[in-house]
Amino acid sequence: MLEARGLVKDYRRDRAVDGVDLVVHAGERVALLGPNGAGKTTTLLMVLGVVSPDAGAVTICGFDLAHQRSRAAECVGFAAGYLPLTERMRVREYLRLYGQLYGIADPNPLIDAGLERFRIADLAGAMGTELSSGQRTLIGIVRATLHRPRLLVLDEPTASLDPDVAQRVRGGLLDLCHRDGTALLMTSHDMSDVVQVCERVVFLSHGRIVADGPPETVASAYGRGDLAGVFLHLAESHEPAGAQQSDHP
Amino acid sequence: MTDTTVTPGSGPNPMTGRAKSWLRMRAIARRHAYVLVRSPHRLFDVSLWPLVDVLLFGSLAAFVGTSGSTPAAKASGYLLAGIVLWHVIYQSQIAMSTGLLEETWTRNLLNLMVTPLREVEYLGGVALFGMVKLVMGVGVMVLGALAFFSFDTWSLGYGLVPIVAILLVVGWAISLLVMGLVLRFGTGAEALAWGVMFVLLPLSGVFYPTKALPSLMQPLALALPTTHAFTALRSLVDHRGSDWTQLSIAAVGSLAMLGLSMWFLVAMLRTFRKRGYITRYT
Repeated sequence: MLEARGLVKDYRRDRAVDGVDLVVHAGERVALLGPNGAGKTTTLLMVLGVVSPDAGAVTICGFDLAHQRSRAAECVGFAAGYLPLTERMRVREYLRLYGQLYGIADPNPLIDAGLERFRIADLAGAMGTELSSGQRTLIGIVRATLHRPRLLVLDEPTASLDPDVAQRVRGGLLDLCHRDGTALLMTSHDMSDVVQVCERVVFLSHGRIVADGPPETVASAYGRGDLAGVFLHLAESHEPAGAQQSDHP
Repeated sequence: MTDTTVTPGSGPNPMTGRAKSWLRMRAIARRHAYVLVRSPHRLFDVSLWPLVDVLLFGSLAAFVGTSGSTPAAKASGYLLAGIVLWHVIYQSQIAMSTGLLEETWTRNLLNLMVTPLREVEYLGGVALFGMVKLVMGVGVMVLGALAFFSFDTWSLGYGLVPIVAILLVVGWAISLLVMGLVLRFGTGAEALAWGVMFVLLPLSGVFYPTKALPSLMQPLALALPTTHAFTALRSLVDHRGSDWTQLSIAAVGSLAMLGLSMWFLVAMLRTFRKRGYITRYT
């Protein structure tokens, strides 16, 4: 499904990503974790083809991202909690726009199903500016899943969401993955997201993968009771060199 | 699910590549139509400002024309025809440049860049919508010139067609240049979207032969395809028919300009991806 080999990215004097190998199989749900500045967002942006790696290659659904970005992007959906909705459009118009960008001539039945999945059908006629941040996040996820991608990439999908909305997001994602066999690659700082949704975690520190496996295996390998313990341990070890670093250039 | 174009987990759907491209271009054009319709102040670009320009230059033309001399009558025609045709470049350039700027202002660039939308499809979409704005803006000017100053732009004949086509290409070329600069330097470069037009306007001899320019500026003016297009326009205003020599130079120049601008935009897009400038808009 997703095969990233030897990804390297330098921003000026900082190496944001340093030789990341990441494979996500069909239907697999993977969390990409790590402290701020570990290289998560840069890795995701390279996987999405928005940032080009200095070294390495990404293949999605068999398409080489460097040469067949558009074909590869048809297999992928992406949403991030921090991204706004397109302004001056109603929710249905917005979803219709993105459905058509994914090559769906009449996205309306898929829009209805997507809104229903996250129990927000009543928002179809609302303007993007009328929505709360939680509602915007949900609409963003509906947009990302409209074309039933084989790989769903989510950056902080539950950031700033109320617990009940976050739970609805987790439920909707699991439903999608089970029903459609969608693979999931997500970042999150909320370990309850990770434990409930993902079957595999990949920890990054200083741009390198330092742990990869099922959550309980990774936690025990670090001698911690849970993923939060591993996260804190890595964050502490990240501090001296990484405190001044950022994922962003 | 009733939709048959997407099956669970299928990824790419069965539409042909060309049909998908056309669908995406129309989607982008529609997206910008919503922006125009739902932002009344933007309608000024295609209604009020063109009308103000035609009133300003039309009044100047009427004033100059009152002297009754032959050169004055000519200058009067140059002013009105010049401003109407100038808006072909202006509208096509501004529509495309602000298309990309709108994505940066609203932090929508990442949303678009992760979709299968190709760069050329995006440009096609904004150009398509730009044509609608062009028709609206220039239409207002043509009607204004006719209503207020009895200047019938259509009386210039079919010779206008190649001139409009050349000016359209130049407008697109400038917008690609501006887009490249915005990708490279961020929204700080947006002032160029408007500013570059004010450099081009006097140098292109929109209202006068470039012989009227300071001699130092004349070689620069002659290097611009717009100068030759407006020289060809004055030939029509003077009832001398189409000046094919000037039109040929303008056509070759505008295509060369378009090619260079495309090369520049592609290079800037490569830099944008390489340096991770997307994080400016997230």
